[in-house]
Amino acid sequence: MNDSGKNIAIAGNPNSGKTTIFNALTGARQHVGNWPGVTVERKEGRLSYKQISYNVIDLPGTYSLASYSIEETIARGYLIDEHPDVVINIVDAANLTRNLFLTTQLIELGIPLIIVLNMMDMATEKGLEIDTETLSILLGAPVVKVVGRTGSGVEELKQAIALAVEKGPVSHDVQIPYPRELEAEIVELTNELARLKIARDRLRWRAVKLLERDKTSTEKIKARENTGSLLANIDSAIRRVEDIYKDTSRAIISHARYGFIQGALRECVRETNATPFDYSREIDKVLTNKWLGLPVFAGMLWLMFQLTYTIGAYPMDWIDSGVAGLMSLLDSILPAGMLSSLIIDGAVGGVGAIAVFLPNIFILFFVIALFEDSGYMARVAFIMDRIMHSIGLHGKAFVPMVMGFGCNVPAIMGTRILESRRDRILSILINPFMSCSARFPVYVLVVGAFFPQQAGTVIFSLYALGIFVAIASGKLFSRTILSGMSRPFVMELPPYQMPTVRSLMLHTGERGIIFIKKMGTIILAGSILIWALGYFPREVQLSKDFTVIEIQASDDWQLLSDQIDQRFAESVEIEKELYSSKLVPFEDSRGYQILASQRNSLQMEASAARDSVIADLHFEQMAETMEQKWIGRLGKTIEPVLAPLGFSWRESVALITGFVAKEIVVSTYGVLFGVGSEATEENVGIIENLRKSGMSPLVALAFLVFTLLYTPCLATVAVIKRETGSWGYTAFSVVYSLSLAWLLAFIIYQLGSSLNWLA
Amino acid sequence: MGRKLFQFGFGRRHNRKRRHRLDLSGKELFLSDLQAGERVRVIAIGGSEHFRIRLMEMGILVGDIIEVSKYAPLQDPMEIIVKGYHLALRVRDSEKIIVEYLKD
Repeated sequence: MNDSGKNIAIAGNPNSGKTTIFNALTGARQHVGNWPGVTVERKEGRLSYKQISYNVIDLPGTYSLASYSIEETIARGYLIDEHPDVVINIVDAANLTRNLFLTTQLIELGIPLIIVLNMMDMATEKGLEIDTETLSILLGAPVVKVVGRTGSGVEELKQAIALAVEKGPVSHDVQIPYPRELEAEIVELTNELARLKIARDRLRWRAVKLLERDKTSTEKIKARENTGSLLANIDSAIRRVEDIYKDTSRAIISHARYGFIQGALRECVRETNATPFDYSREIDKVLTNKWLGLPVFAGMLWLMFQLTYTIGAYPMDWIDSGVAGLMSLLDSILPAGMLSSLIIDGAVGGVGAIAVFLPNIFILFFVIALFEDSGYMARVAFIMDRIMHSIGLHGKAFVPMVMGFGCNVPAIMGTRILESRRDRILSILINPFMSCSARFPVYVLVVGAFFPQQAGTVIFSLYALGIFVAIASGKLFSRTILSGMSRPFVMELPPYQMPTVRSLMLHTGERGIIFIKKMGTIILAGSILIWALGYFPREVQLSKDFTVIEIQASDDWQLLSDQIDQRFAESVEIEKELYSSKLVPFEDSRGYQILASQRNSLQMEASAARDSVIADLHFEQMAETMEQKWIGRLGKTIEPVLAPLGFSWRESVALITGFVAKEIVVSTYGVLFGVGSEATEENVGIIENLRKSGMSPLVALAFLVFTLLYTPCLATVAVIKRETGSWGYTAFSVVYSLSLAWLLAFIIYQLGSSLNWLA
Repeated sequence: MGRKLFQFGFGRRHNRKRRHRLDLSGKELFLSDLQAGERVRVIAIGGSEHFRIRLMEMGILVGDIIEVSKYAPLQDPMEIIVKGYHLALRVRDSEKIIVEYLKD
């Protein structure tokens, strides 16, 4: 296999079937990453044909090469700066007019072009007969008919690519004709650019872009020296053209492009009068129906969660027991000591806690891929846009918000369905307020301890508060830090399609693997850090020797127990002396029975007293130990910050560890209260100790609100960094949610204390 | 024509039922005035240049025939059919598209 070293770029409208063709060309040999500095997916793969391999890049789907959206900027930047050897322009054959608009710009760019008429089956169904030979001549590029979904025509496409690479750069002799006066200005400007040696190639493209008032092109000229007169000339040229045609230059140019397209299509497309059955419209009579649309969508979401949690529960159990098995296996092989503690409690335990969520995440991704590939996602946007628009978002942004109830990590990755960067950042910033499932055990524990009577109401209110904060923050952000970047909402509702198993698997797999890779490393590091904070320093100074006191307590009990037995024996002796009946043996007599039961209850009281003393000792010892470990010192250090919220150092420690993953808050309390880290939410021990610790219901409420609102977890922070590509936004998200959590908890605690409420 | 259009289309409150009758009085008919199932021809597109170019990129041109397919369950956005494909538009954006009924 020889590497040709050639780059093939795939360009086309969204919904033109770009990805299907990309998959058909490259198979599973793909690499998914991000375009540098931005959050748009960059897909690359390798195509091999006749022993030669080519690099294929899937550009973001765009309707044009104006630089309005980030996708357009990326596609355009790649085409201009990276000089791909061949560009494959995927065109939806059933919607030629609109799809060829991008083609006219690609023709002007002068890159070797192959035009792929995709979805030929749909076009035929629509009654369109396309004369590809004539079209090829008119557009100055080879035209290949393909049906991406069935793979027909893909071989011809590969052949065309090999041929285009072989032929090397070709200049298009086709030019988009513009109205006479505009054409004259273009020629004039082209000559001026050549004379000033501003550029050597793509002069016509540059001239057209400059006359369009294209920002990127104009700025490139501005950045150069001595271009003042050129800029002035361009400006007056634009004004002349606009005066003649009474419209903006960009509109005139776009109209001319459409004129060219319509002219070309008149010559090579014949429409027979077939009115195809618009099955999408029939499906939409239900799915976007005035009355049924919303309930059906709610049902779909319910089904999505149902699937996630019911089907996900099985592999979840397997992973859970697998992790537990691994831990006990390691425990038996590894010699006790720091290393084994690091591996078992730190690495395996910490990562295992997150690995349990993998099945859920994969199922969630699968359902999302199903929504996307079938075309339903666009309908979701249509149905929900009214609501989401009120917080400055696109309708589609609703889906990641709902996903946030499951886990914020896949939800934030799910914001990839949004096209504009601004919308993505806005939805990423508000997503952590959607109360994820990891917070639920914390609610159950604390609510169970302090509000057992109103448990349902309190937990529901927490979820509602989360939604409220998300919406309010969304409104705030869209009016302040993220204002003015919104785009007009013109969205295509593509025809419904049966998703292919292959593309569903690819979609689900590639996102899942990113999750495993990135989260694995960060969770691992975080778990080890928390472990170390709780493990060091090894030597702690305890206020008393707990072992001795414990032995003492044990001895005291032994003494008491012996005394009880002795007193019992003495009483029995006396009773026996007085006993006269020969009919019933003494051991069965009523007197003996009473004495025996008295003894038993005394013994039980004694051992219960011993147990409670020892438990208290353990609790005290654990608390004292934890207080002196790094984690406790950290808790003590930040205690002053959290004191105005009524939190003690224990709450501080629990909140710090909750930073790795919220559910850890529960096991931290378990450790702090000495009932072991195996604590579950049903654990009565923690609930008892929580009440004992002197926490008031008011503090508990403040603690719950803080838990809901503060930075969800390390994995979420990592995914925010990954998806926004910016430390700035990541830091903002952390600081914002921490401050908000502090503020609300502060208000609750202070207001509550002054009103003497829930004391 | 284009520049003149910049002056209207902003800030009008959407009131379909009332506006619906207005075309008879010789005033402009806006896409947002229509009800589901109506077919019209685009005679002018107003609003910002960004918006007009965006519509053009999506294939809505002056002279095109638009069918209003439906309004979303919450009355916004609306779904239209142009050249056989379906597009969703917010009502406040469709207030910037002037249309006329087909003359047959």
